[in-house]
Amino acid sequence: MPKIDLTMDVNGRKVVKQTDPHKRLLDFLREDLNLTGTKEGCGAGECGTCSVFVDGKLVKSCLMPAAKADGAKIETIEGLARPGSLTPVQQAFHKTGASQCGYCIPGMVMAATSALRENPDAGIEEIKERLGGNICRCTGYTKIFEAVEIARDVIAGRLPETALDEDATGESFIGANVRRLDAPSKVSGRLKYAADIKMVDMLQMQVLRAPMPHARIVSIDTSEAEAMDGVACVITADDVPGTDGFGVFVHDQPVMARGKVRHFGEAVAAVAAEDLVTARRALAKIKVEYEELPGVYAPEDALKPGAPVIHDYAQDNVIKHIPIRKGDPEKGFAEADLILEDVFTTQQVEHAYLEPEAGIAYVDHDDVVTVLSPSQNITHHRHMLAEILALPINKVRFIMSAVGGGFGGKEDMIYQGMLALAAMKTHRPVQLNFTREESIVASAKRHPSKVHYKMGLKWSGEITAIEFDMLSDGGAYGMSSEGVMRKAAILSCGPYEVKNLKVDTKVVYTNNTPSGAFRTFGGMQAQFATESMMDMAAEALDMDPFELRRINMMRIGSRTHTQQELTTASLDRVLDAAEAASRWEAGAPKVRGPRRGDLGGPDTRQPCTLGARIGEPTVTPTNDERVAS
Amino acid sequence: MNRKMRGRGMASSWYGIARTATIDRAGAWAELDDGGTAKIVTGVTEIGEGILTVLAQVAAEELGVRPEDVTIGDNDTSRSPEAAHAGATRQTYMIGNSVALASRDARAKLFAEIADHWDVPVDSLRAFNGELWAQDTNLRMSMDEAVKTCKGRGVVPVGSASFTAHGTGLDPVDGSGSPWQAYVFGTQIAEVEVDTWTGEVQVLGVWAAHDVGRAINPRGVEGQIEGGVVQGLGQALMEDYQTENGYTTTHGFAKYILPTSLDIPQINCTIVEDPDPLSPLQAKGIGEPALVPTAPAIMNAIYDAIGVRIKSLPATPEKILDALRNHVPGREQIAQSARQDRAEAHRRGL
Ligand code: FES
Ligand code: FES
Repeated sequence: MPKIDLTMDVNGRKVVKQTDPHKRLLDFLREDLNLTGTKEGCGAGECGTCSVFVDGKLVKSCLMPAAKADGAKIETIEGLARPGSLTPVQQAFHKTGASQCGYCIPGMVMAATSALRENPDAGIEEIKERLGGNICRCTGYTKIFEAVEIARDVIAGRLPETALDEDATGESFIGANVRRLDAPSKVSGRLKYAADIKMVDMLQMQVLRAPMPHARIVSIDTSEAEAMDGVACVITADDVPGTDGFGVFVHDQPVMARGKVRHFGEAVAAVAAEDLVTARRALAKIKVEYEELPGVYAPEDALKPGAPVIHDYAQDNVIKHIPIRKGDPEKGFAEADLILEDVFTTQQVEHAYLEPEAGIAYVDHDDVVTVLSPSQNITHHRHMLAEILALPINKVRFIMSAVGGGFGGKEDMIYQGMLALAAMKTHRPVQLNFTREESIVASAKRHPSKVHYKMGLKWSGEITAIEFDMLSDGGAYGMSSEGVMRKAAILSCGPYEVKNLKVDTKVVYTNNTPSGAFRTFGGMQAQFATESMMDMAAEALDMDPFELRRINMMRIGSRTHTQQELTTASLDRVLDAAEAASRWEAGAPKVRGPRRGDLGGPDTRQPCTLGARIGEPTVTPTNDERVAS
Repeated sequence: MNRKMRGRGMASSWYGIARTATIDRAGAWAELDDGGTAKIVTGVTEIGEGILTVLAQVAAEELGVRPEDVTIGDNDTSRSPEAAHAGATRQTYMIGNSVALASRDARAKLFAEIADHWDVPVDSLRAFNGELWAQDTNLRMSMDEAVKTCKGRGVVPVGSASFTAHGTGLDPVDGSGSPWQAYVFGTQIAEVEVDTWTGEVQVLGVWAAHDVGRAINPRGVEGQIEGGVVQGLGQALMEDYQTENGYTTTHGFAKYILPTSLDIPQINCTIVEDPDPLSPLQAKGIGEPALVPTAPAIMNAIYDAIGVRIKSLPATPEKILDALRNHVPGREQIAQSARQDRAEAHRRGL
């Protein structure tokens, strides 16, 4: 394909370059100019990590063809301040702790800069709206809002420049608001994540993924792909030299599908080629013959007799069952004045870290197979990869690259094995960067769960017994399922001392996207059920919800659900603190919202109507005539 | 019913710190370096929570230098001692204590040399913020000089440590055991506004009180709480990864809806400090616990506002409208009938 000539002013310097016509402005900046502060979080205009200025206007560079920016004046995160210095917006982000993983931050700084350039006096509501196209998965946005307001006031001279300085430290660094050491590199776009790193002679990998959720692999023919110009290697399960299998508790997942695929999007083969386009083309030349198998898509179905078996070792499809027993639940329920029973369900949740999976593998001068990736658990990955590659453990090295968000989703070794195999086969560095779509189909999710709950209470509020039965969908592979069930069981009945209980948590295989570790590891699913039940009980008992919790809360000396004696317990203090801070008006939870006197205080925000904040509304305000019935 | 209804709900939670039902451990190396700086090497995994800064604060405090003088890198299995993974709300607890102990070990080497050099008892020495001094004397030097002096005597002030958290496994039959040595507790309140015409829920305020043991960096703790609350809010109201017969139907952010700046309540954090008696730092953790009570607090608030109890997450506008239409009686009625049943049983002498 013929190249195109582009001329731009980028960060104040004239750039004249030839490039490929398919490139987006984002690719041109990142690949041709090495301006990797601009990130690709989604490639579809949905996240804002790729935000830059084109002729002074904030633009999502993943949506703009590079050719369209010909002749334009481009400003990227790298161009906002001179090297070694930071703009007031960047300094304010540093001061308030507005950057966590940092992956959204360059885009966020661009959006904030744009907001204040467009309206130096923007109020908080307008700032929020102007940041509305930029997703941050880490911070909860609150410190970002704070940063933009401080920067606005410093720029306008309403606050002195010292407002951007670090808070003073007293007599100890423990308890001090020391600014994050990594923030300057994040707010300036200087921090390199795995996808931002280039090595000499590096190949690009692409992965062929299963087009169906459950199938036997009859054959894989890679010959045509291998014969293509620019293809360095094609790998499949046959290339694994050692014991194939990874997972946090059970090593049931092969590096690439071995004999059968168990979920939609599972890796089946991978290509390493001179460039991304060649690697993508080669995928289309790999011929895989599948024989579709009946699948299981609901955990209840997985337990039915005769259900399709997903892993041979688990003929009943059960990954793990954790029982907890304490006291005599039957007796406890017999003593109860009130018994409540209900069912609670939670959904599958995507981690949605802004940085999609990415990594590089190479074999170093000491023959050490080295993988650089944003993994949350390289200690364990090294153990597993050494087994998979049949290498001594010191011949496998994992290096953590900057992690653009994890939340548990980067604990599973779902791609590092493929990179290592390709590096060993080619003796060249190999890089794989997931697209957002790939990240969503291939990475683990929060376990969806269903809890059958039975709680017995006395009129006094004392819980006499609980029966808690959770069934979770583990999806196609075990990953962290066992641990998630254990934690869900241990925490199940909440921070309350319950004398009699019967708890069961069970997780099964299905042909759905695997479930794995996700911030709280089963704890939120279980306690969502418990805390809903507690309020339902408080209503039934005509009791304030704080009071009911105080009656039952764990104290020093309490025995937990697993019969551990607590030597410390702070729920009493925490309840007092929350009640006081929120100016809670006591009363039973009997739909008293309309009568409450504690609503709408200065510690709440205003409800929002889209488009009503910026002087010129871009969206028609919600029409009050619209009746949904 | 007015179109816009408001209400409040609360929920509590608890959580264990560090790996579950097992012995957790973490190692670290520390060195007081030239110029009064410090090097910390440990298998830490910064995933955005700010652990590198927390560890730099801990090392600075223990070594007598400033946090910005501490060099600390990320994990590398061939270069760092094992400190395991970023998860289980374990890094501040496990690696924080390991770094504290390793730093004390390095400091002890330095102090031994300086005490000898000055001819003062070693326990009279103090170091903070780049200065070292002997109490009740005029003896004082910078950490830069102190390291020079120590090295001049032939000693490189290095230290190492391993920290252990003693959890036990669960009994396979009754689940009994002591899975963690430290627990944290939390409570959150949510204030919502429900649009009864569209079913849309806006969370206007969240009050979050969490025990963290000891807050090493209060702003960092707030950041974790705010991030956790917003992830909890996402799961409560909008996020829903869906498959149809195994095929993903939410394959991008256009279909998988995440909270944006317009969804964010005012988040009011209260940090409660109940020090951990079993570890030198006395800190516990906050990463995961912050998310636990948010969704139930929001569901309880929705109930308070409109008398509709959502038991199946997320509480989408469709579900809210549906529940409003098929209004299910509240618990009050159920309790009344339970009371009547009981009175009836009593009368019959059962
Ligand atoms: S909006 Fe461009 S990468 Fe997400
Ligand atoms: S800091 Fe915003 S996505 Fe991580």
